[in-house]
Amino acid sequence: MKHNLGKLWILFCFTLLQAEDFTYVFNINQSNPYMKEGVILTLDVNQTNHDVVLLFDFDLKKSKHYSFQRIGIEEHDAHHTMQIRYTYLLYPLISGDLNITFKMTKKVTTDDSVAYSFSGDRDNVKGLVTKDFQVDLNPVTLTVKPLPKGTQIVGDFTLDYTIKTHQAKAYEALPFQMTLKGNGYPPLIEHLIPKDVNFTLFTEKPILHSTADAQGTHSSVTYPMALSDHQDFTLPAITLKAFNPKTEHSYLLTVPLQNFQVSKVAITNLVDKTDYPPTLKANWSWIQTLLGYLVVFAAGYLSAFAWKWQKKTTTKTEHPLIEKIQKTKDTKALLQLLMAYDSHRFAPSISKLENSLYGDGKIKSRDININKVKEEAIGLV
Amino acid sequence: MNEKIVQLKKELSKAVIGQENMIEGLLIGLLCDGHILVEGVPGLAKTTTINALSRAIGLDAKRIQFTPDLLPSDIIGAQIYNPKDHSFSVKKGPLFTHLLLADEINRAPAKVQSALLEVMQERQVTIGDETFKLESPFLVMATQNPIEQEGVYALPEAQLDRFMMKIVVLHNSEEEELTIMRKAASKSFGEIEAVLNIEDLHTLQKELENIHIDEELERYMVQLIAATREPKRFGLESIAESIMFGASPRASIDLYKASRAQAFLKGKEFVSPSDIADVIHKVLRHRIVLSYEARAKGITSDEVISNIVETLPIP
Repeated sequence: MKHNLGKLWILFCFTLLQAEDFTYVFNINQSNPYMKEGVILTLDVNQTNHDVVLLFDFDLKKSKHYSFQRIGIEEHDAHHTMQIRYTYLLYPLISGDLNITFKMTKKVTTDDSVAYSFSGDRDNVKGLVTKDFQVDLNPVTLTVKPLPKGTQIVGDFTLDYTIKTHQAKAYEALPFQMTLKGNGYPPLIEHLIPKDVNFTLFTEKPILHSTADAQGTHSSVTYPMALSDHQDFTLPAITLKAFNPKTEHSYLLTVPLQNFQVSKVAITNLVDKTDYPPTLKANWSWIQTLLGYLVVFAAGYLSAFAWKWQKKTTTKTEHPLIEKIQKTKDTKALLQLLMAYDSHRFAPSISKLENSLYGDGKIKSRDININKVKEEAIGLV
Repeated sequence: MNEKIVQLKKELSKAVIGQENMIEGLLIGLLCDGHILVEGVPGLAKTTTINALSRAIGLDAKRIQFTPDLLPSDIIGAQIYNPKDHSFSVKKGPLFTHLLLADEINRAPAKVQSALLEVMQERQVTIGDETFKLESPFLVMATQNPIEQEGVYALPEAQLDRFMMKIVVLHNSEEEELTIMRKAASKSFGEIEAVLNIEDLHTLQKELENIHIDEELERYMVQLIAATREPKRFGLESIAESIMFGASPRASIDLYKASRAQAFLKGKEFVSPSDIADVIHKVLRHRIVLSYEARAKGITSDEVISNIVETLPIP
């Protein structure tokens, strides 16, 4: 566990390359790693065209020949001078020549567009308008060394195991747990215990906790299992072959042979005498539900005719104003009635009545034939 | 009638056929520094009227279509970040104008409505740390669509009170529509020319102060407003159950101003009861809150107002 990627940091720089508007350079900490040995790959991008706002979208292309994880992006964004460093931790999964391929998008935008997108807020997101260009980057080639034959684990790992008890009743589960902890390629092994054992083996999905940084991947993998049988049985010794690429030495992780004692249980105790779930009984509650639906349907159907009943009860009187106009006794009452009903429609009659009552500001009040005004007003109804 | 008002109406008639009710309301709003709420379906020449009015008086006019995703900053303005010098600069919104058409105000959420109505009241806008006074005149004509009530944010009564008048715009008569159709087809709507300027408008506003209102009529107006609050006191038992809340003191002020402006527009030197009757529906219809029973029976605030005018004796 003492050796790590950081202490062996030797950079293999590739030539500084010039693209339109920016330069870029790839660095790897080793070009000749073992299979499943961690490699740190960095890409440094520097903006050279200071007239535009540049943004980048970079990642490694997925491949079954390697696995990777981005462990950092450092960005120094001065005005029109973008500098970015992308850092990846990469594990080659095949030996021989391996090409690492990339995808990169260059996004060009303007200060106005950035300002516009800033003017948005939580409820009103304004998108940044960019012109996108795909950039073709040359692949980085690694020459990967094969692992010693039979290697199951790559890295610096330790093995712990836990067995709570070695005694159990027939068919009772005996918990058994193995934990691999250390630095290197996460040790996910499909069959820790051989399939052809003479007892029943219960397994679960391994529990993996891992963190990746420039020093590699620190992981802890726990394999929860349970063993069971109706008679005494033996768990054979488990041996895992591991290889540490830093020291270039192989080592073994072992769990010694384990014997388990199983006591017999009377068969009558194993038989379940209670029905679960309980046996089915006739259920007639659906009739009640059906009746409920029928009542609701009938109520809805009848309510569609309600407007007809309502219509019969409402009666409308034609031109009640005419009767009101005829009943008015004096000029003021008629003026008030016409004003209240529609001062615009009866404007000529209102004007005459007002002149009669208040004058027009220049001439004094004069008599008016109220019946004539009434007739005029009725004509306007 | 005042000659300038005649000229203005004549100029407006080049672009707007009919709709005297809306034009009269807008002129009253301009003369009294009030804001107008217009209820009417689309296509009734609301934008045309505002534009024609602005051109005829030489004023700025802008239109905002209110939508559910509108933000206060979209109408007021905002501070914009400038990455060159890492500073913020103020970008003024469309509120900075003389005549503003706020189309379908009830489509925007309450925070936007509040922002607009606050500006209407204060006549100033604060963006960041800076406060900007709006130029006079500042008239907002807000519209509400009476149909399509799904997904709208109805204006609360307290905010409706800030509108001086609510005008219901109806379709033109068949004769008017025929004229509109022919003029639109032959593209013969006249060009609007500026017949007034801001100074003229201020002069007209000053002239308005000379319109006389008799003390008895002033008391009559106060009684009309009081009758909306305590109908039983004025023998209006029949409408007492229909009113949940009566009109506010702002209604008295606006009724006073509007009836004076109405008399002025008619070319009169004093206010008569018919001037009050001409404007009372516009001033009160959005300020009276009807009870649930009244709404269920289909009673409208206009009917309630007519009832009050019919019952209260005129001086």
